[in-house]
Amino acid sequence: MRILVVEDEPKVASFIRRALEEESYAVDVCADGQKGLDWAQSVDYDLIILDLMLPVIPGLELLKQLRRNGVKIPVVILTARSEVDQRVKGLDAGADDYLTKPFAIEELLARTRSLFRRAGGTPSGILQVDDLVLNPVTREVSRGEQRIELTTKEYALLEYLMRNAGRVLTRPMITEHVWDLDFDTFTNVIDVYISYLRNKIDRGREQSLIQTVRGSGYVMRTDV
Amino acid sequence: MSQASIRVRLTLWYGTALALILILFAGTIYFVMARALRDQVDASLEEASSAAIRTLGEHRFGPFLIFEDLSQNFPELALLDKFFQIFGPAGQVTIQSANIQSREIPLSQTAFQASLKGNATFESVRFDKGVPFRLLSVPIMHTDRLVSILRVGISLYPTDKMLQRLLLALLIASPIAIIVSLLGGWFLAGRALKPVNVITHAAQRIADGDFTQRITSPRSSDEIGRLASVFNDMIARLETSFRQIRQFSADASHELRTPLTITKGETELALRRPRQAEDYRQVLESNLEEIDRMSRIVDELLFLSRADLGEIKMTMMPIQLDEIVREVQLQAMVLGQDREVETVLGPISPIVIDGDELRLRELLLNLVDNAIKYSHSRTQVEISLVQAGLQAELKVCDHGIGVSEQEQQRIFDRFYRTDIARGHASKGTGLGLAICKWIVEVHQGTIQVESFPDKGTCFTVLLPLPSSLS
Repeated sequence: MRILVVEDEPKVASFIRRALEEESYAVDVCADGQKGLDWAQSVDYDLIILDLMLPVIPGLELLKQLRRNGVKIPVVILTARSEVDQRVKGLDAGADDYLTKPFAIEELLARTRSLFRRAGGTPSGILQVDDLVLNPVTREVSRGEQRIELTTKEYALLEYLMRNAGRVLTRPMITEHVWDLDFDTFTNVIDVYISYLRNKIDRGREQSLIQTVRGSGYVMRTDV
Repeated sequence: MSQASIRVRLTLWYGTALALILILFAGTIYFVMARALRDQVDASLEEASSAAIRTLGEHRFGPFLIFEDLSQNFPELALLDKFFQIFGPAGQVTIQSANIQSREIPLSQTAFQASLKGNATFESVRFDKGVPFRLLSVPIMHTDRLVSILRVGISLYPTDKMLQRLLLALLIASPIAIIVSLLGGWFLAGRALKPVNVITHAAQRIADGDFTQRITSPRSSDEIGRLASVFNDMIARLETSFRQIRQFSADASHELRTPLTITKGETELALRRPRQAEDYRQVLESNLEEIDRMSRIVDELLFLSRADLGEIKMTMMPIQLDEIVREVQLQAMVLGQDREVETVLGPISPIVIDGDELRLRELLLNLVDNAIKYSHSRTQVEISLVQAGLQAELKVCDHGIGVSEQEQQRIFDRFYRTDIARGHASKGTGLGLAICKWIVEVHQGTIQVESFPDKGTCFTVLLPLPSSLS
């Protein structure tokens, strides 16, 4: 899951980024409205966290332009003003949720999960493929009775695969949703992480859930 | 209602005053009229009596006087409303006119006594049937001896009737006049007070917080018109200052909310799971920075609000301005060390001005601190101080991010920060330049900015020299 944070106050952007990264999301940060608009239109983000007071292009204007251009990425607006009309304007302009500063980190993360859940269509939020279960709230992964410990990146990769179970995911798609802008696309990091995941999930099992689609990428099988 | 409305009171006052005037007026008319009628009656009695005496004289006052002769000679005596009586010297009736009929109208004791002394007497009497009469008794003397007494009488019935009618007319007309004028007064008071009601309603809505209200009474120069326009001016000024206060407190809370968001976010994030000591140290450092920022904002806010209230004490005395410049330059060298921004002195003239040393130092330090904050790394900030005419010209120039032309007018506004400054790593409070402007203005000087984006900014402060002040 890849998230864009558009926030001009560097320290606010910094802790939001770290909090989201701890939840194994890939995070990009930009500090002005123009950059935010460009990035949001060129990368397939899963969520945008948008401050309303931004230089160059104000947040509300950015949001309106995004929606006008048909970008449907869920947006959470952050506003320092707790005034109702700001929130109403933001929601009317196409925001999916809002947070007023100062906000609680846990609330930001819960709203993030809730928006992903809405996008993914599972009411409980728990992802399941065969006997493999992933709980985004507790970040626990288990297969059958056995709990599986994953690193942050492994978890992010697995969550992305499971959310898109049955779909063939190309390497560029995986890059875009699991890694941030600093990722070097010329390495074989994806293949390395897939093999780590396979070791933890599929090794010693009758059914291999992560399948390689030759020449394209990977798929989380649902037809086993 | 414990206190009647002005309209009711005006009407009542008006009605009471009018009623008093009417009563006085009606009373005067009645008594003047009554007096005039009485005088008229008395005059006609006198006239009749003297005519009768003349006739009697022609007859030598003989006892053979008959009324027919009198009326023959003096047709006016034949008027039915008068009667005549002639009494003998002892007071007994000797002759009387026919229209007296059988009525007994004896000579009164007072009239008889007066007649003995040779005086005429007017009397008003009322007899058995209640008909009032006016009587004139005139003694007829012959060689100082009372020969007889002539009495002329007239019924007061027509006069009384007339006065009664007048009284009735006054008693009926006065209350009607009072009622009509009360209604008129009520209507006029309402009309006069209508703009007051309009003003009251407007004031009510303003009290409810709607400052867009204005009184729309016709633009006249009368008392109400003036009240309305003064009132409108007052609302306009209230509206402006309320908007400023609201903006100011919104800005203040926004400025305080950002460091709060950061300290809250950083602290919560740190507490989510156990961390390395180094991580905690970083969070604490960041929090300390934000706490410093908050206390700076609070201090500066307090300063500005005290300045607004005129509570800042200034000690004006001759100040060696060039010395302050040199001292601030030394401090600035330390401030700029991290980013390798050097503060250098341009031309410095020895200049003395009248001012508050503490505030002038603060002004210069604020400007230099600002210049360093927004300078590009490894550049210079230049301070110069020269005399320009009757003013001291203090300049602080940097090579930094600059200010765009449309933003230059607003940088002295409270909490205004340019887009670039807001995203800048070293955070200002947005109040520094507002404070600088205040300090310059209490010294009767001016401050100007000249800037090009990404090239640099020059602040020019002009302060009057002592000689030009006196």
